[in-house]
Amino acid sequence: MATIDLIDLKKNYGNVPAVKGVNLKVADGELIVLVGPSGCGKSTLLRMVAGLETVTSGRIEIGGKDVVRAEPAERDIAMVFQNYALYPHMSVRGNLEYGLKNRGTPRGEIDRRVQDAADILEIGPLLDRKPRQLSGGQRQRVAMGRAIVREPAAFLFDEPLSNLDAKLRVQMRVEIRRLQRRLKTTSLYVTHDQLEAMTLADRLVVMNGGLVEQIGTPTEVYDRPATLFVAGFIGSPPMNLIPAASLSAGENAGTLRLGAETDIVGLRPDQLYIARPEGDVLTLAGTVELLEPVGGESHLHVQINGTEQPIILTVQGRPKLAEGDTITVYARPEDIHPFNQQTGRRTDAN
Amino acid sequence: MVENRPWLSLLTHLVLIVGVVVVVFPVYLAFIASTHGSGDFMRGLVPLLPGPHMLENYGRMLTQGISTAGAPPVSIMLMNSTIIAIVIAVGKIAISLLSAYAIVFFKFPFRLLAFWTIFITLMLPVEVRIIPTFAVVANLGLLNSYVGLTLPLIASATATFLFRQFFLTVPDELMEAARVDGAGPMKFFRDILLPLSRTNIAALFVILFIYGWVQYLWPLLVTTDSRYYTVVMGIKRLAATADSEPLWNLVMASVILAMLPPVLVVIFMQRLFVKGLVDTEK
Repeated sequence: MATIDLIDLKKNYGNVPAVKGVNLKVADGELIVLVGPSGCGKSTLLRMVAGLETVTSGRIEIGGKDVVRAEPAERDIAMVFQNYALYPHMSVRGNLEYGLKNRGTPRGEIDRRVQDAADILEIGPLLDRKPRQLSGGQRQRVAMGRAIVREPAAFLFDEPLSNLDAKLRVQMRVEIRRLQRRLKTTSLYVTHDQLEAMTLADRLVVMNGGLVEQIGTPTEVYDRPATLFVAGFIGSPPMNLIPAASLSAGENAGTLRLGAETDIVGLRPDQLYIARPEGDVLTLAGTVELLEPVGGESHLHVQINGTEQPIILTVQGRPKLAEGDTITVYARPEDIHPFNQQTGRRTDAN
Repeated sequence: MVENRPWLSLLTHLVLIVGVVVVVFPVYLAFIASTHGSGDFMRGLVPLLPGPHMLENYGRMLTQGISTAGAPPVSIMLMNSTIIAIVIAVGKIAISLLSAYAIVFFKFPFRLLAFWTIFITLMLPVEVRIIPTFAVVANLGLLNSYVGLTLPLIASATATFLFRQFFLTVPDELMEAARVDGAGPMKFFRDILLPLSRTNIAALFVILFIYGWVQYLWPLLVTTDSRYYTVVMGIKRLAATADSEPLWNLVMASVILAMLPPVLVVIFMQRLFVKGLVDTEK
């Protein structure tokens, strides 16, 4: 049980900055997900916390103790790696025990903890097998077990699910969530999958280019993205970003009130309608470019007159529309996210 | 591949059989010769069937040797050869493992230089640097000693390259996981890397044991005391008698004895050896 504090943490590789000053306070028992595109510095950040990467400047405090100069083993953390990194020549039991043995844990205590972890993860029958005799999902469980038996102050997950197939990934995601809730261990979790990030996190840290773009609960980040980057990154299909000029013309002029510095507006695909909703509406005229049925709903790509990029809207069921049809798309003024292109920030912040 | 062409399979079998005969016949001849009495070769024809003197010949070579040829009993020479071959194999493997570990897993100044310096020793086997090496060993007073026989042969990290290539295939995460689990560098080496290299070590041991066993030139140079003779050089002495006919039956008995240990090593380590050459345990 511990808090993790990152204070102005920086990392350079030679002259190339990878992490450009990150401040983050993780509360005790919280699950924080670091999410961002590849190369955004999220893994580097995690590895610095783990002690596998040196720190260029800044401080890392785990449980109030500065650990920047401490060896990974002295930081009281456990890490789950992307490729699991199980010791191939040891049995599952050997893998679970290794860290405890190195710490001189008494035999009885080791056996008790291994048994507990095996029960929690339901890998009891696998204890005497070698890692190569296990399936991907089972290896994943063993890797988690290796972290659990240590009963550390914090778990660090480095894209632990990206080697699993889609179905297993969803299943393990739920299990990780349940496990973390049950053990109440402070956790840092790195992923590039925004869906994984949304479903797992107590709070999200969206990173881009070595900087933190936004920190908040998944709903906060989804409902009020602080920057253009976050707006485009979180959500699938991504938020439509339309030049404000093409929206404010014609009959929208009366209903749309944007600040002077707003030159780009964002609209979620599920907050655009092809049937006119109640109350004030904005209208956008365009032609249907593509209709993608994805099961219960359809993705409609519409080329709005006077813009370059087509916008995407999600529509329930399968609308009777063909490519080339002209169409009017409606949106509610309160669903609009106003941004400034230059600063990349939200203009109705505070 | 399944093919049904009788002539082709006849031909391929024929080639294989000829090959086997070419390799085995001299060995067979040596064995036959070692079972005959000393007079049986005077006619100039070598008999092709075993004679009655096998135990007598082998017994004599193992316990007495041929004193006129200046060779000690074969048992002593076998012992010397075994000690030398094992020391060379173990020494080379130990040095190579450690240097490959340093080169692959640690960052230190001149790492690449260190690697290439080791690599260059591949181009300088004992035979190439034999005169300076002899001078050094002689000045250190190591002639006629096991140290003098083995040390110069150990001092080339032939296997470093092989272990380096293997270590490079070990994922970094394995070391990182071990670090998080509280294993220091030597603990990681002992607990993780060594067990993973087991089959490679076995394969190398077989190769290096035979390499050490067949050394001829170097033992010939640094030993004058017959207590340190190795069996390969000893056989040469047995065969080169000055003013009498070589005792071929006894020479051949020593030859057969000299052949046994490498064969045994290969047979007993074959399973690991093949595994080490074919796949790495992942």
